Amino acid sequence: MPEKIIDINDLCHTFSDGYIGLKAICVSIYKGEFIILAGKNGSGKTTFLRHLNGLLQSDSGQIRVKGHSVSNHLIQTRKTIGMVFQDADTQIVGDTVFDEVAFGLENLKFSRADITAKVTQALKGLSLFHLQDRTPSSLSGGEKRRLAIAGILVMDPEVIVFDEPFSNLDYPGTIQVLTTIIALNQSGHTIIIATHDIETVICEATRVIIMENGQIKEDGTPADLVKHLESYGVKEPCSSKFGLGIQPWRS
Amino acid sequence: MNTTSQHLKMTVYTALFVAFIAIGAFIAIPIGPVPIVLQNMFVLLAGIILGPVWGLACVAIYLLIGLAGMPVFSGGTSGIGRLFGPTGGYLLGYLPAVFVTGSISKGLGKKMSSDILAMLLGTLIVYGAGVPWLKVVTAMSFGKAITMGMVPFLPGDILKIIAAAVIARRLRPVIKL
Amino acid sequence: MAQLIPFTYRPGNSLLHRLDVRLKFFTICLISMSLLSAHLPACGGYALVLVFFFKTAGLNVWETLNSMKYFMLLLFFVFMARVLTVPGDILFVFHDISISEQGIMEGGLVAFKFFLVMVTGLIFSTTTKPSSVKSAVQWFLKPVPFVPEKRVAVMISLSLGFMPVILKQAREISNAQKARCADLQKNPIKRILRLVFPLLKKTFLSADSLVLAMESRCYTDDRTDPEFTPSGNERCFFAGTVVLCLSLVCF
Ligand SMILES: Nc1ncnc2c1ncn2[C@@H]1O[C@H](COP(=O)(O)OP(=O)(O)OP(=O)(O)O)[C@@H](O)[C@H]1O
Ligand SMILES: [Mg+2]
Repeated sequence: MPEKIIDINDLCHTFSDGYIGLKAICVSIYKGEFIILAGKNGSGKTTFLRHLNGLLQSDSGQIRVKGHSVSNHLIQTRKTIGMVFQDADTQIVGDTVFDEVAFGLENLKFSRADITAKVTQALKGLSLFHLQDRTPSSLSGGEKRRLAIAGILVMDPEVIVFDEPFSNLDYPGTIQVLTTIIALNQSGHTIIIATHDIETVICEATRVIIMENGQIKEDGTPADLVKHLESYGVKEPCSSKFGLGIQPWRS
Repeated sequence: MNTTSQHLKMTVYTALFVAFIAIGAFIAIPIGPVPIVLQNMFVLLAGIILGPVWGLACVAIYLLIGLAGMPVFSGGTSGIGRLFGPTGGYLLGYLPAVFVTGSISKGLGKKMSSDILAMLLGTLIVYGAGVPWLKVVTAMSFGKAITMGMVPFLPGDILKIIAAAVIARRLRPVIKL
Repeated sequence: MAQLIPFTYRPGNSLLHRLDVRLKFFTICLISMSLLSAHLPACGGYALVLVFFFKTAGLNVWETLNSMKYFMLLLFFVFMARVLTVPGDILFVFHDISISEQGIMEGGLVAFKFFLVMVTGLIFSTTTKPSSVKSAVQWFLKPVPFVPEKRVAVMISLSLGFMPVILKQAREISNAQKARCADLQKNPIKRILRLVFPLLKKTFLSADSLVLAMESRCYTDDRTDPEFTPSGNERCFFAGTVVLCLSLVCF
C-alpha cells in the first residue's frame, strides 16, 4: 500500500452568501496517484481544490496533509501541495520568466545561489531555459502554462494540483502541457487534475472522482466509471463511446 | 478572511490601480476637440476605492516608478526631468489629491454624493499644484497658466467625476471592500 | 504596450547595460540636478557626451526623436512662453508682440536643458531591465523609515505585469463594442462607463485569483533580497560622473 498523503474527513464549506459549496467530502489520496476530478461547471471542483492548499477554510471536517492539519501548518502544506490555477495569465508575479519561477523560493527565503540553481534546473526541465529573460506576458499559451508549472515545481512539491490545465490551449499547447504532466507523474509526483473535459487525460489516470453539487458522487478507476460520466454532465471520451475502450489522446 | 490575506488583497489591488493610473495616461476617449485622457480619473478612483492610505501608496508608487525611469508618464516619458518639468506639478498634486479624496469619501460614508464632492476637491487640489508650477517653470502669467493649464480640461473633468462616481458605486459590491 | 510606450528596455551588452543599476540611478539624479544650474557651453559639452552614450546604447536618432514628438511640443510651449515674456533688447516686433534676444536665448536654454534631462532618462530606461530598476528602488528605500521596501518592490512588479494585460483587455472590450455600434453612443459619460467599468471589473476579478496564487506560493513580506552584479567599471564611471557634474556646475 503506498503512503497516504492527503486525508480528508467530512469536509463541508458554506460560502458567505449561504451557498453550500461542499458537502461531507471524505477521500484519501495516496502517493503516486493520477487523479481526475470531473464534474460539470459549478459542481465544486475549484472549491474543493482550494481547501487542499488552505486557500479556503472549511466550516467542519478536517484535512490532513502527511498527518498534519492544514490550517495549523499552512506553509508546510503549501510546500507539499503545489497548485496551478485555471487562468495562467492571472498567476504571474515576476517581471521575467526567471523572476516568476524564483518568486516562491524568495518567499521561502532561500539564498540567491540556491535560487539560481533551482530555477535554472526547473526551467531546463520544462524547456523554458532559453526564454528566461522574456516577459511572461509575451509567451504563448502553452509556454505560460508550463511557466506556471515551473513556478510550482521549483518549490519541490509532492502533489501537484491542476485546475483546468488545458483550457484555452491549442493542440500543440495541450500536447506540451500533457507531456509535462505525464512526466511529472512518472517522476513520482502525485497529480490531481480538475476538468470537465476528461478525454485528454483519462488514459493516463489511475483514478476518477466525480463531483456534483458539492458532493463526491463516484470514486473509482477510469475503466469502471467511464460509462457513468454522462449522467453527471461530463462528456464520455469518443473512443469509449465507439466501443474502443480508453485510448491515449496523443496520436 | 484573515488579516494577512486582506493585506495581500489590498497590496494587489493597489498595484492594479498603479497600472491603471499609468495606462490612463495612454487611453483617451475621443469626445469633442480635446480627447479625454483618463489618468486623473483613475487617481481619484484609487482614492475612493482604496481609501486614503492605500490610495496614497498607490500614487506614490506610480510616481516612484516614473521617477525611477520607467516609461509611465504621458507621452511615454519618465524620470526626474519629467517630474520637475512644466507638467510636474499635476503629477505631484496627485499625492495630496488622492489622500484628500480618499479621506473625504471614507469620512462621509462612501455615498455617491460624498464621492462626487471628494473628487471635486481632489481635482481642485491637482490644479492647485499644477497651475502655479506651470507658471513658475514656463514663466507665463497666472492668467495664461490658467487658460492653458486648467480651463480646457474642466468640462472633461466634470464628466470623468460623474463617471467615476458611477463606477465606484458599481465596483464596490464586486470587489467587496 | 511596446507600440504605445517607446522607451522600453532593449536587451544588450553595452557598458551602460552592464553597469550596476544603483550607480546608474545615482548618476542620473546627480547629472539632472547639475544640469539645472549649467550654462550653454556646458550643456553643449554634455550633449556631445550624450551622443556618445546614445550610440553605445544602440539607439536610433530618428526613432527616438519621433517617439518624443509630444514632449517636443511641450518644450516648444516652454520656449515660446519665455520668448514672449522675457524683456530685453528688442529683436523684432510682430503686431504688438515684441521678441527680445534675451527671451530667445533663455527660452532656448531652458528647453535644451529639459531635452537633455529627458534624453538622459531615456538612455537609462532603454539600457536597464525593469526588474533591476525595481531592485534598485528597493535598495534605495531600505533606509527610509516606515516604508516596507520589499512589499513596494512586489507591487512594482505586479503593476508592470498588469499593464499589458489591461491594455489587451481594453482593446478587446473596445473592439467588442465597436462591433455592436457603440460608436453611435453620443453620451460621453456612458462611453467612459462602457469602456472602464468592464475593464475594472474584469481585472479586479483576475486580481482576486492572483491573490490566491500568491498565497499558495507562500507570499510573505520577509523575502530574499535582490542581488546586484557590478561590472567592474563602477569606479571609473563614478569618477567620470563627478568630473562631468563639476564641469556642468562650473561652466
Ligand atoms: N465566493 C463565492 N460565494 C458564493 N458562491 C460561490 C463562491 N465561489 C463559488 N461559488 C459557487 O460555488 C459553486 C461551485 O463553484 P466551483 O468554482 O467550485 O465550481 P467548479 O466545479 O470549479 O466549476 P468550473 O468547472 O466552472 O470551474 C458554484 O455554483 C459557484 O457559483
Ligand atoms: Mg473551477
